[in-house]
Amino acid sequence: MIQIDGLSKRHGSRTVLSDVSFHALPGRVTGFLGPNGAGKSSTLRILLGLDRPTAGSALIGGRPYPSLRTPLRTVGSMLDGSGAHRSRTARGHLGWVARSNGIPKHRVGYVLEQVGLAGAARTRVGRFSLGMGQRLGLAAALLGEPEALVLDEPVNGLDPEGIRWIRTLLRGHTDAGGTVLLSSHLMSEVAAIADDLVVISGGQVVAAGPVAHVTAGYATLEDAFFGLTGGPGAGEER
Amino acid sequence: MRPFNTVAAELRKATTLPAVWAGIAVALFGSAAITLINAFSTRAALDAGHPEARAFTSPFETAFAAMPLGTVGAVVIGVVIFSSEYTAHSVEVGGGRQITATLAAIPHRHTVLAAKATVTILLVVILAAITMPVTVGIARLVIGSAGAETVPLDDAVERCLGGAVYWALTGLIALAITVLTRSGIIPLIVLIVSNSLVSVSLLLTNLTPLAHWLPDMAGRRLFGGLHTVEGGLDALPGALVMTGWAILLLTIAAVVLRRRDA
Repeated sequence: MIQIDGLSKRHGSRTVLSDVSFHALPGRVTGFLGPNGAGKSSTLRILLGLDRPTAGSALIGGRPYPSLRTPLRTVGSMLDGSGAHRSRTARGHLGWVARSNGIPKHRVGYVLEQVGLAGAARTRVGRFSLGMGQRLGLAAALLGEPEALVLDEPVNGLDPEGIRWIRTLLRGHTDAGGTVLLSSHLMSEVAAIADDLVVISGGQVVAAGPVAHVTAGYATLEDAFFGLTGGPGAGEER
Repeated sequence: MRPFNTVAAELRKATTLPAVWAGIAVALFGSAAITLINAFSTRAALDAGHPEARAFTSPFETAFAAMPLGTVGAVVIGVVIFSSEYTAHSVEVGGGRQITATLAAIPHRHTVLAAKATVTILLVVILAAITMPVTVGIARLVIGSAGAETVPLDDAVERCLGGAVYWALTGLIALAITVLTRSGIIPLIVLIVSNSLVSVSLLLTNLTPLAHWLPDMAGRRLFGGLHTVEGGLDALPGALVMTGWAILLLTIAAVVLRRRDA
């Protein structure tokens, strides 16, 4: 389970997050939804120990991420694409990631197969398309067979077949009891994948709960998104 | 288990990075080429009966004249081992940087820095163990029996070890500075120019004797046999001062790395 409690983050005088709290439960896909710049990535970066919060806590299975000894065996994550250096091959990237957490070598070939990159294993990452980079990022997330997956905009750059594939993959993960937290700025894509929604706008959580509950009272998913986040057309449909 | 895995992962990252191999190539092939040119000049002067035309005719000294290129190699290794973490992808493919993947895999930042320092030392020492015998061998082969070896073996071994320590400390200082700048461009330019063309510290010694305590001036007697600039620290105290600089800069780097957002 992922627990975010009272998270705040300020850069100088600018408030990026203010009192953000929500849970992502095992066996469910939690969609973290909001327009660009709403604070999704900031929240996920704090959760993964990359940035420090001004206040509050972010725990995975009751522990802060930096205290995990081999974190990739507990949490698989993807932020800003693959995170692979462009002069490395896909296999080379996954090779050092596996080594760092003592993950057996055979997992590298397995996850490359799983995300459909087996044929590009020896291609330099600098020549990858956005969609291939996303698949490599997913491969790295799956490498340690983690209980939880934290994915920032995973459907970005994927074609419809890719989106369908990731939906099946994530569903399989939660059916096996895993936790999935994924962010997106696209309501329709998240609604098709997620069980629960957390909607963030201007650094504050504006709605949270099962998808049907959050979108109740709106004619369309799009109306719900704009209504909740205060975007164009807000308040017209309710 | 974690420190070992981290070092193994960082070693794999470094050795699969083309820029690291560029640094190794500059140090190895560059100094071999310079030694070759110098050795042929020395040989020609000796054959013509004008040994006084050269500063030295010893094969060892001839090879050691190429040592600054090894320092450049150490700088490149130290810098790119860290700057590669911050090389951004183009915006079209997400604009990600490797530091995200590195800290997700190893969230304990001091472990990451310690592993990178270990890998820097390891690569530089291996580089020295190959470059120094190769260049000395080239000089001996070319100059042959024409030039008498004036440097005794124990002296030569001591100076090779000293030179390797200088390279390793330079690599660590380059690593620490790159942690602070995040980009490799400025440390690469400043440190390469300073170690190969014009030593800023050397110029500063004209203004103040304190400049003898700067890292490169303090450590220069590790190479031994330098008589070009008088004054400054002896080999051992100089080595300690240079080591002090490396430790100080790495400590600052560790504090900054731990505190800042990735």
